[in-house]
Amino acid sequence: MSSLQIQNNQCFRLNEIIFAEKNDFLKTVSEHLSGGFRMLGLFPPDKRNPAKIIAVLANAGYSELCIAGGEFPADKLEFESWAALFPQTNYFECELAENYGYTPVNHPWLRPVRKQNVIAGDKPYQFYKLEGDEVHEVAVGPIHAGVIEPGHFRFQCHGELVFNLEINLGYQHRGVEALFPEADSNRGIMLAESIAGDTVIGHTCAHCNVIESLSNTQLSLRAQVIRSIAEELERVAMHLSGLGGAANDIGLALAASSYGRLRTLVINSLADLSGSRFGRGLFVYGGVRFDFDRENIDLIIKKLNTVRNDVRVINDFLFSSTGALVRFEKTGAVSTDSALKIGLVGLAARSCGIELDTRINYPYGAYRYFPVSQITLSTGDVFARTRLRALEIDESLRFIFEQLENLPGGEIRAAAGSIEPCSGAVSITEGWRGDIVHIAITDEKGGIAQYKIKDPSFNNWYGLSLALRKTEISDFPLCNKSFDLSYAGHDL
Amino acid sequence: MIDAIKLRILQGDPIVHDVKNAHLPKLFRGLPAIADKPCPEGCDKCAAVCPVQAITLSPLSIDLGRCTFCPLCEEACPEKLIHYTSNYHIASDKRENLIVTKDTKKIPHAHAAKKIRDYFGKSLKLRQVSAGGCNGCELELNALNNVNFDMGRFGIEFVASPRHADGIVITGPVTRNMSRALEICYEAVPNPKIIILVGTCSIAGHVFENSVQLQRQFMEENKIDLYVPGCPPHPLTFITGILNFIGR
Ligand code: SF4
Ligand code: SF4
Repeated sequence: MSSLQIQNNQCFRLNEIIFAEKNDFLKTVSEHLSGGFRMLGLFPPDKRNPAKIIAVLANAGYSELCIAGGEFPADKLEFESWAALFPQTNYFECELAENYGYTPVNHPWLRPVRKQNVIAGDKPYQFYKLEGDEVHEVAVGPIHAGVIEPGHFRFQCHGELVFNLEINLGYQHRGVEALFPEADSNRGIMLAESIAGDTVIGHTCAHCNVIESLSNTQLSLRAQVIRSIAEELERVAMHLSGLGGAANDIGLALAASSYGRLRTLVINSLADLSGSRFGRGLFVYGGVRFDFDRENIDLIIKKLNTVRNDVRVINDFLFSSTGALVRFEKTGAVSTDSALKIGLVGLAARSCGIELDTRINYPYGAYRYFPVSQITLSTGDVFARTRLRALEIDESLRFIFEQLENLPGGEIRAAAGSIEPCSGAVSITEGWRGDIVHIAITDEKGGIAQYKIKDPSFNNWYGLSLALRKTEISDFPLCNKSFDLSYAGHDL
Repeated sequence: MIDAIKLRILQGDPIVHDVKNAHLPKLFRGLPAIADKPCPEGCDKCAAVCPVQAITLSPLSIDLGRCTFCPLCEEACPEKLIHYTSNYHIASDKRENLIVTKDTKKIPHAHAAKKIRDYFGKSLKLRQVSAGGCNGCELELNALNNVNFDMGRFGIEFVASPRHADGIVITGPVTRNMSRALEICYEAVPNPKIIILVGTCSIAGHVFENSVQLQRQFMEENKIDLYVPGCPPHPLTFITGILNFIGR
C-alpha cells in the first residue's frame, strides 16, 4: 500500500505523495476502504491537471490519515467504481465526475451533486422512479414551507409509505471552493465564516487550522482554549435548536419555545465574547481577536447557569412525554451496518453506535489537552439523534464551565508565518453535525492552488434518504429535523 | 402536567418588550460612528483591509449595504476614527441611506408609500426565499418567531405560500440555481407586493459578489422596498426596520 501517512493538521510536501499508475491507485484505495478507512476527499491537487488525483482517507481507530495518489491517462479519465462494494465513495465519485469529467465505470447511481441542469434549462435530470399502478410521486422544493434553505425532495410512495426519497441539491451553490484561491487572508476567513452560517465556528476553525498548519503558526494555549469554548457554545446552541425543532414538529410547543429561549442565551454568550451571535469576527490566523475578561466571563457564566439548570427540566419534560416517545422511537431508523457502509458521520453516526468524533479520534487544538467524552447511542432512530443532542449538551457545558474557570494565561494572537509553497494540509474539526474537513494545497509561490471542503452534510444527506425508507411520509419533517443537515455546507 | 407548569414558570418573561430601545451586548457591531477628524495623509489602511470594498476614502464613508461588520477596519485605523456602536437601527428603504459618513448620526427611518402602509400597516405576511443564504440570515429570521422577539405580536408573519404573502424577503446572494425559483415565487405573490433584502449577501453579494455562480438580475429588474443590512442582521434590526416602514 503506497500512500502518504499524515495526521490531522500536519503539513506535508506535495512531492511526498506517490502518484501510482491508475490500477495500482485503484487497488490501494480499495485496500484502504476494506481496511476500515473512510473517504474524506477525491480530487486533483492541481486543477490544471485533472489526470492526477488524490484520495484522502481516514482511519478513526488509529487517528491516521492517508493520501493515495493516482495518475490517469489524460485522454481517458475513467475508472472502475468502488461504490458498488463501498457505498461510502458513491457521492465522492459523483463529485469527481461532475467537477473534472471523470467516468466511474459501473457506478451504481451517477447523479448531479451541485450542477442543477434541471433549473439551468439543459437536459433535465431523471429522478429515480418507481413504477406501478398504486405508486405515486411527491415533489417538494426547492422552496420549502418555512424559513429554510432550498433543496428538492422527490418521494416515491405507496400510500403513506415512502419507498425512496431522492434528495437533489445544488441550489445554494455559490462557488465557495473556487473563491478560496483568489482570496487574501481577510477574505479567506470571511469566506470560511459564510460556508454554513449555522457552523461559523466549526468551518472557520478548520480553515484557520489548515492555513496555520501550512504556515507553521503556533497558537498559544489560551487562544486554542477560547476557540474550543466557542466551538462548544456553537454546539450547545445548535443542539438546543435541533431539540426545539423536534419538539416543534411533534406539536410540543412549550418544550419548543423553552429550548428556543435557552438557545438565545447561548448565542448571546457568543455575542458577549465576539459581538456576533454566531461568533463571526472571532477568528484570526494565529489565534482569536477577542479575549475573555472578568466581565464577559461573569455574563456568560450567568447565562449558562440558567441553561444548565433549565435544560434539565425541559429534557425531563420532553423525554418523559409518552406522546414524544411514540413519535421518536423507531422512527427513521438507520442500522449501524448501513451507517458504516454509507459513511455516516458525526451526531448521526454516533446515534447508530459508531464511535466517531474528531475531537477524540483526530484530536486537535485544546481537545488534545482537555478531552471530551465520546457519547454514543445505538438505535439510530429519531429518538437516538434527539437524545444524543441532550447528552452532548451536558458534556459541552461541562467543558465550557471547566475551561472558563481555568483559562490559561498568555497572548491570544500569534503572528502568522508565511505559507509553505508546494505543500498541503488536511484539517478536520468536529462541527455540531460532524466532521468538517478542509484541505488546502499550495502552489510554487505559496498561494492556494486548490481548496476542498467537506461538510458533514455531504455524507449525511444520504442517511436521511435511508432513514425515510419504509417510513411514513408524514414523519419526514421530524426525520429531517433530527438530521438537521446543511444545504449551504453541501452546495458550497 | 406539573412538569409543564414548572417549565412555564422557568420561562418567566423573556420577551423583548420595547423592541425600539433594547440593549445589545457591548461588542455588538451596528451603526459605525466615524470621528470628525481628518485621516492621516495618504492613509488607506481601513479600505485596504476591507474584504468587501465597503469603504470609500476622502471623504471616508462606509457602505452598510456591503459591510459585513467584521470589524477589520476598526482594528486597522491608526487614528481610531471608526467605531462600531451597538445601534441596531440600520434598516432603510433607500440604498443610498446606507452610506455612512462622519455626519451620519442615524440611518433615516424607512417609510413605505401611503398605499402600502394602508394595506399592510396592521398585518403583513411575508414569504421568505433563501437564494444562496448560508443559513445565518435564515436562523435570525427564524429567531423572530421565538419567545424573545415574537414578531407575530405586531401582525408580521412568515407564511408558506407566496399566494398568501404581501411580499418576499430575500436572503443570500442569489445563485444561478435559485434565480428562476426566486422569480417564480415573486410572480406568485399578488399585487401590491414588497421586496425586502436581508443581509449583506442579498444587498450586495458579500464575498461571493464576483462568483460566476451568481445571477443577480432579479435585484436590478425590481424595485427594492427595504434593505436590512448585517451579516446576519440582528432580529431587532429587522423588526424595527419593518415597523418603521409600515408606519408603526
Ligand atoms: S467592518 Fe465592514 S467596512 Fe469595516 S472592514 Fe469589515 S466589512 Fe469592511
Ligand atoms: S449576509 Fe452573512 S449571514 Fe446572511 S446569508 Fe450572507 S453570509 Fe450568511
